[in-house]
Amino acid sequence: MNMNLSELMAALPTEQGDAQDEGAFANEQLRQIFADLALRPAPVHSLHRLWSTGELSVQIALASLALWMRSWFATADMRKRRAIETNLRLALKTFHRLGYLRGAMIKIGQAAASLPNLLPAAIADTLDKLHFEAPPMHYTLIREMLTNELGGDPDEVFSRFDKEAFAAASLGQVHRAKLKTGEEVAVKVQYPAIARTIDADFRNLSALLFPARFSRDWESIEQSFAEIQRTLKQEVDYVEEAENLRRAASLFTGEDEIVVPKVYGEYSTKRVLTMEYLPGMHLNEFLTTDPSQEARNAFGTKIHIAWWRMYYGDIHHADPHAGNYLFLNDGRLGLLDFGCVQRYGAEERELRAITDKLANGWDAFPEFLRLGARASAKDLANPEYVKTIREGFVWMAETMAEGPFDFGDGRHLQAGIGWFSRLLRKRYTQGHPTYLYFFRSVFGLKAVLYRLRAHVDVRALMEQEQRAATEAH
Amino acid sequence: MRVTLQTKTATKERIVDTASKLFARRGWEGTTTRDLALAAGIATGTLFNYFQSKEAIAAELIAAALSRWQREFADGEQRGQSLEEDIFALVWGGLKSLRDLRPVLSPALDTVLSPLARSSPACAGDAIRAGHLEAVERLILDSGVPGPLPALTMQIYWTLYLGIVSYWAADDSPHQEDTLALLDQTTKLFTASLRGLKGVGNEHESE
Repeated sequence: MNMNLSELMAALPTEQGDAQDEGAFANEQLRQIFADLALRPAPVHSLHRLWSTGELSVQIALASLALWMRSWFATADMRKRRAIETNLRLALKTFHRLGYLRGAMIKIGQAAASLPNLLPAAIADTLDKLHFEAPPMHYTLIREMLTNELGGDPDEVFSRFDKEAFAAASLGQVHRAKLKTGEEVAVKVQYPAIARTIDADFRNLSALLFPARFSRDWESIEQSFAEIQRTLKQEVDYVEEAENLRRAASLFTGEDEIVVPKVYGEYSTKRVLTMEYLPGMHLNEFLTTDPSQEARNAFGTKIHIAWWRMYYGDIHHADPHAGNYLFLNDGRLGLLDFGCVQRYGAEERELRAITDKLANGWDAFPEFLRLGARASAKDLANPEYVKTIREGFVWMAETMAEGPFDFGDGRHLQAGIGWFSRLLRKRYTQGHPTYLYFFRSVFGLKAVLYRLRAHVDVRALMEQEQRAATEAH
Repeated sequence: MRVTLQTKTATKERIVDTASKLFARRGWEGTTTRDLALAAGIATGTLFNYFQSKEAIAAELIAAALSRWQREFADGEQRGQSLEEDIFALVWGGLKSLRDLRPVLSPALDTVLSPLARSSPACAGDAIRAGHLEAVERLILDSGVPGPLPALTMQIYWTLYLGIVSYWAADDSPHQEDTLALLDQTTKLFTASLRGLKGVGNEHESE
């Protein structure tokens, strides 16, 4: 699927509630900015794929940010509005023309798109695909990276190394290989210089966000972006990912039928990650086999167990999209890509305990508003605010009724997107930075289960995992 | 005393050999033509009979290293699966062959290798340009682009190439990975531009 700017613009929700003139003004400014951006030279031939991947993510990032910024136009006076508009136009252009390393932009695109914003289903699908498309590296470049990182040519280091990648990672690509000791492995190689561009990209992003300083949400926005930057830096460091893999692997036993690939530390560095090769299908391929409802439910249950296990294991998988699950022929579920993982500390554990209480009643709600939503006194006095936040929990509790929940019914996901949309429109988006990734994770999980059309007994699984975690502690 | 061709060649080689050692030891700035003449056992004036400037000596060193690499590359073992990959391999291998000469690259790029440098057959700068462009042109023609290539195409290529060499000369990123990325993006850009010349045989990029 491909999209262009006008489609993205069309996908943005329309203003509601604010004065019509204000909305029209903001819309017109944004339209002009996007029209400017659309005047760029058309990508040609072989560059097309590279550009369409990069450009698309940048467009999504821009669309999300523009959507997010739109509300500021409505409240600022004319003078400030002009300043915002000028800054936004310049910043967007800078952002758009950013360097040649588009991989990091893809990550920022993904992260920005998962800010507390509504993602129309079409854009969510595209983001999902981005996980499978990255700038390709030919073997000469791969060989150079491996020689630099592992100290030897792949032909010397491995007993076999496939020159063609078998999968694309968001910041690189994955090749199959065989160790000299006989193990089949997957070697993930990062595109050169990505890690070092992240700081530079964030400096540019700061320029882009300059107008946000006018906003009352600035503190929350600043913290959210610091969180994104921290997570991205973790994501480009494969030593960190290897550690996440090891920790995650320790949470599962053979009985769970959930596998995390083993890491081969001596063949791994910050930019190269060598893991056990797991043979299996991704979701799309699995669905083409027309699996039985039983098989769908079994995998859906394992996906949910994995989610809860990691959540209570203090290494919450913040990016559970379809590309991160492998459906093995023997019925086991493979978990891939542990780059985007939130390691929970005391604060996050406290918030988790509060949220857990909310699954059984509203007593802990004021505590959540204070610590989780970081509501101000003014917010708390606003019944509309309290009602909207409460609706989020009501929505999440929908899946936790007794017995299996049918994720194939799209109304649940749609209702969640609707709630998120209201949260955004009303600018009730401040909160503890952990929720930036928590909601991304919740929506990612539910989107996968929706596509799988699985029936899962969520409450039973949650209680089982809660109990196990309590006993383990 | 009559100076034979053999003596001339030997002296020239001695100057280049001495320069290679002195540049490595004292750096570009720390080595004067006087030092070079002294170390090579000749008068400073005599040195100028062989090379017009210190930069011309640097160009000679660069030309020799690149020429060795191009001969190795022409053997074909380094060939990849696409024109883009081949050009990448040719350029990156060339840069690696210049690793010890990094300190002298910038001054050479400012003078004898500059796109603005006056053509002088006596200077190795011309030989470097001709040798490299010939190798690239061969790769392009081998990939199925019909010849002869427009002069503008090779001029664009040369400008891109010098940009990469300049960037690499000052690149302090680990393993010069910034240059790796720049070279990758540049070869993509350049091979894409060749598509207009019809019939590029490029397995990776065929739609």
